[in-house]
Amino acid sequence: MTTRPTIALVGALILAMGVVELLRLRARRSGSGRRFFAHRPAVWGVRILLFFTVAALLAPLVAPYDPAAQPGIVTLQNTPPSWAHPLGTDAYSSDIWSRLVYGGRVSLGVGLLATLVAMTVGVTIGAVAGYARGWIDSLLMRLVDVGLAVPRIFMLLFAVAYWNRIPLSILVLLLGLTGWFTTSRLVRAETLSLRGRPFVDAARAIGASPTRVLIRHLLPSALAPIIVSAVLSVGNVMLLEAGLSFLGFGVQPPTPSWGTMVADGQAQLALAPWTSFFPGLTIALVVMSWNAVGDALRDAFDPRPEHA
Amino acid sequence: MGGVWLIRRIAAAAAIVFAVVSITFVAIHLAPGSPFLPPPDRPLDTAVVARLNRQFGLDQPIRVQYVRYLKNLAHGNLGYAFSRGQTVRAALATTIPDTLLLAGTALSLDLGLGLILGVVLAARARRATDVILSNLTLFIYSVPAFWLGLVLVFVFADWLHWFPGGFTNTPGLYENLPFFGQLGDRLHHLALPALTLGLVGAAGTARYQRAALLETLGREFVRTARAKGVRERRVILVHALRNSLLPLITLAGLSLPFLLTGSVLIESVFSWPGMGRMATDAVLARDHALVSGIAMVASAMVVTGSLVADVLYAAADPRIRERAT
Amino acid sequence: MNFRVSLLAIGALPLALGCSSSGSCKGDYCGTVVFVTANNPKTLLPPVIDNTGARDIDEQLFLRLADPGMTTNTIGDSGWVPRLATRWEWDDPKTLVFHLDPRARWHDGVPVTANDVAFSFDAYRDPVVNSAARNSLTKIASVTVRDSVTAVFRFKEQYPTAFYDAVYQMWVIPQHLLAQVPRTDWLTAAYGMHPIGDGPYRFVSMVPGQTLELVADSTFFQGRPHLRRLVWKFVTGSTVAVNDIATGQADAIDFLGSPANIDLARKTPGMSLVPYPGSNYMYLELNTRANGDSSEPHPVFGDREVRRALTMALDRQAMSTNVFGSYSKVPPGPIPQWWPIWDSVRTLPFDSAGAARLLASRGWRLSADGFRSKDSVRLSFEVIFTSTSGARQAYARLMQAQWKSVGVDMQIQPLDQNLIQDRLSSGKFDAVLQGFNSDPTPASGIVQHWTRGAPDHYSHWVNDDFDRLVTQATSVASAKQSKLYWRAALNIINADAPGIWLAAPDNVAAVASRIADVRLRPDSYWALAWTWRIPADRLIDRDR
Repeated sequence: MTTRPTIALVGALILAMGVVELLRLRARRSGSGRRFFAHRPAVWGVRILLFFTVAALLAPLVAPYDPAAQPGIVTLQNTPPSWAHPLGTDAYSSDIWSRLVYGGRVSLGVGLLATLVAMTVGVTIGAVAGYARGWIDSLLMRLVDVGLAVPRIFMLLFAVAYWNRIPLSILVLLLGLTGWFTTSRLVRAETLSLRGRPFVDAARAIGASPTRVLIRHLLPSALAPIIVSAVLSVGNVMLLEAGLSFLGFGVQPPTPSWGTMVADGQAQLALAPWTSFFPGLTIALVVMSWNAVGDALRDAFDPRPEHA
Repeated sequence: MGGVWLIRRIAAAAAIVFAVVSITFVAIHLAPGSPFLPPPDRPLDTAVVARLNRQFGLDQPIRVQYVRYLKNLAHGNLGYAFSRGQTVRAALATTIPDTLLLAGTALSLDLGLGLILGVVLAARARRATDVILSNLTLFIYSVPAFWLGLVLVFVFADWLHWFPGGFTNTPGLYENLPFFGQLGDRLHHLALPALTLGLVGAAGTARYQRAALLETLGREFVRTARAKGVRERRVILVHALRNSLLPLITLAGLSLPFLLTGSVLIESVFSWPGMGRMATDAVLARDHALVSGIAMVASAMVVTGSLVADVLYAAADPRIRERAT
Repeated sequence: MNFRVSLLAIGALPLALGCSSSGSCKGDYCGTVVFVTANNPKTLLPPVIDNTGARDIDEQLFLRLADPGMTTNTIGDSGWVPRLATRWEWDDPKTLVFHLDPRARWHDGVPVTANDVAFSFDAYRDPVVNSAARNSLTKIASVTVRDSVTAVFRFKEQYPTAFYDAVYQMWVIPQHLLAQVPRTDWLTAAYGMHPIGDGPYRFVSMVPGQTLELVADSTFFQGRPHLRRLVWKFVTGSTVAVNDIATGQADAIDFLGSPANIDLARKTPGMSLVPYPGSNYMYLELNTRANGDSSEPHPVFGDREVRRALTMALDRQAMSTNVFGSYSKVPPGPIPQWWPIWDSVRTLPFDSAGAARLLASRGWRLSADGFRSKDSVRLSFEVIFTSTSGARQAYARLMQAQWKSVGVDMQIQPLDQNLIQDRLSSGKFDAVLQGFNSDPTPASGIVQHWTRGAPDHYSHWVNDDFDRLVTQATSVASAKQSKLYWRAALNIINADAPGIWLAAPDNVAAVASRIADVRLRPDSYWALAWTWRIPADRLIDRDR
């Protein structure tokens, strides 16, 4: 590795660490903030997530090579990790570390955007069902029942049949549209329980529209569980994206995604295990970070003495 | 009251499966591509394709095909799976047992290992064992199952040669073996895929179980038991564990979607001839009838799983039944 | 055996108990060979089979009139081995008479007769059946029955590969079992899932997507096969298949492919590598007509100079080494290694600077984004290929990067096989990355692919000189003369570049070393499995 990417890499590490310390300082003021930072795996999770996010955003600086470049398809094929190629090269002689850095853009991006879609749909439908009650509620919740009856990967496989090469935007939409069912149940339950509270009645009494009541009064109160479920969902979506890419239905080359990198490496598992080992490990680390952060957030929002 | 509740619950389950079948049927028929698979160096005559479409009723409007499909369904006829050269029923009958075997073994591993780990974690809460194992379970819980499968294949099949890298038995040898030999051969093949799927599940169960146990340990009756001088081991194993077992029943019933999802990927890694691998192939081949059949079976499994969980839970705790009606 | 006792050996203990008491077969006629393949057959009825997996199995279940020898000569009948026919003679230059072996029986006991031969020919030629061999049988005028053991073939003309056409394309199938089955239903006929043949092996059982078992016909008239059982195991892909070889789960695999796989098989104790002449080649076929509109020339591939430039931009040798190591050659035309016309024909050199100049001279100039364009149209196209092929996937990635370096934007589009076929027949594609698994003779392969109006003429590339030379090459009687015509024809197609010839892999099979007398016939590697044997002292558990 040359100087620039090394400096950029160290920079990204310091940035990730520094931001965490800054957050920790700010969080000291609130009880939930302190509880969150008492959760050590979550602190490490935030560091890891920040690191990969910074690296992905600054990919051109951090990556030592062009992720699509094939500098020596005969001479540099499947070379083991070395100083020049810290994680080795793949079957096409591309640098695995550079592909990991760029792949983070796709993998993290898909995870975040799909979760955003899922949360938007789930919150809307849950809130509407819980607020409207009656037949609208029944209809929407039966829809959720049907959605939950088919394992998500089967739904995605069937949807994939419509596209030969699935565009990234469609993949995000599909992952999002198959992931809102539990969120909508959660939000519905929250809405139902909050609906009878005096402050909601008061808001309605002064003539606030249902939309306003939902957005201004009900949702903020239900925010904590929504955030927790969103954070946990990002990891889940990333695993699904990786699985689909592994089956060959997900992100298509030359765009690197961590899932396709594992799949690409499968054919030379015995010859060059690093080609699929490192991308798989990265997925595991990042998903683990999301899960740890989700756990810590849940504890922070909902303090129970047993968990403290 | 209990009977009515059960009947309503079953009717709802059936309605869900019906909805899934209908939606899948329509959706998959709108997908592009033909279910006939000629090789690239040998095109099918357009006339032949038209004839095949006619023969299998694929030239009819979707409405007509759908009604006919439902009629056949009522007679237990799920159609013909072109991509496999057999009826959908036969295709499902050959693959479901293998998927159930894999998922069932993985589930037992998941619950058994998860329960033990959960108890250990809770008993050692916040001590070194707990911290290390908690982080480990969190990691395994987050690992992509297919990647774990690849790693296990690399270590135990390619490198150490302890286990075969795939399939359900050793063709050629299996047929010659006596009963126990066949059992052994199957177990030998089952070990890696079931371990892959079971480990990931067990990590989740252990995390859940730890939290549940810790919550129970904080309750009044446990404190009373402790105050009475009952030994800690007994407090955990008898008093606390018994109370946190109930949620485990639900967990088992609800882990079917997870197991089926895992099986799609794991069956592909291990060339396990189950329903998950068949689903992937059927989608690629645009095998309408087979895809609809798999969707129906998968949703029926999930719905049955949650139904059984509900019923068991209700049987164990009558308050639930009252509330649900 | 690899069954070491391990901590997790929940299977090993009962297995050890099981092994000691399994099997009872002793002597010369034992043995089980497990073939592993990713080609799961959907039917075994010979005229409608559609993959090499089915072909390998049918080789053991059914008989041709005669089989090619190890030389796979296709001109005349020298080297051909009697199977169903004991002998044959030419009554006149256009009439070929076959005398069937009167001992031949279908596995249900019914004798094989000349009626079956005539029935088979009729079926193979029937457009409803749509057999792959149909186009190769067009020069045969009729097949008639002289008596129950004598079948007469009449040809429309006299030509060098007449004998080959008469016997090679067709397995004889039982009239008494198939005459009643409507031809429209053959693709899905029950017979295809449990066939009754007349070959050295009988069909026992098949579980689609899992396994298939054949057992030796101890009364087979050409001699009892030594191997008692042949088992096929169907797996998801080549990675898993090679894994089975490495872990001793299977005995034989036809094509190892990548150097990594070959290396793994070489290191596996009890496995032998068996190289045999390469019968396939991989190439990129360029559609010279516009994508979806065959009345217009293709904006990129319609220009001969651009096609040449695109070919020159690719380092075909390096790509071949990357994917196949030393186990492949860059073919000098649309030909596999084993065709007699494999020769030092002129091909376009690798010259990326020259390619860039040539592209610029045709008006494709570099834009700021690094890609070329002409009249504000980007030099961009899509390459389609079957999503299951690892080698094609690798080639697509390699070509994409190499073309990018001269400003060409190539899109990768892996597709399901049936969708590829849709696109090819409707002309809705730019370029397709294909593998061609060939017959022993260029007479069918090249004619069916590259001449005007041919059934698989997807490139729509037309060159009258080429067509004329091919016709001469396939009709001239002298092999030497024929080769000269072929060479001239290849020079034309190479210069015009309607396709880019990428790789002609060596075939390397792996077969368990306990098996003796292993011979692989180049045109059909497992065809001679019925002559293999396992010496009594080398039998392992699954052989007994």
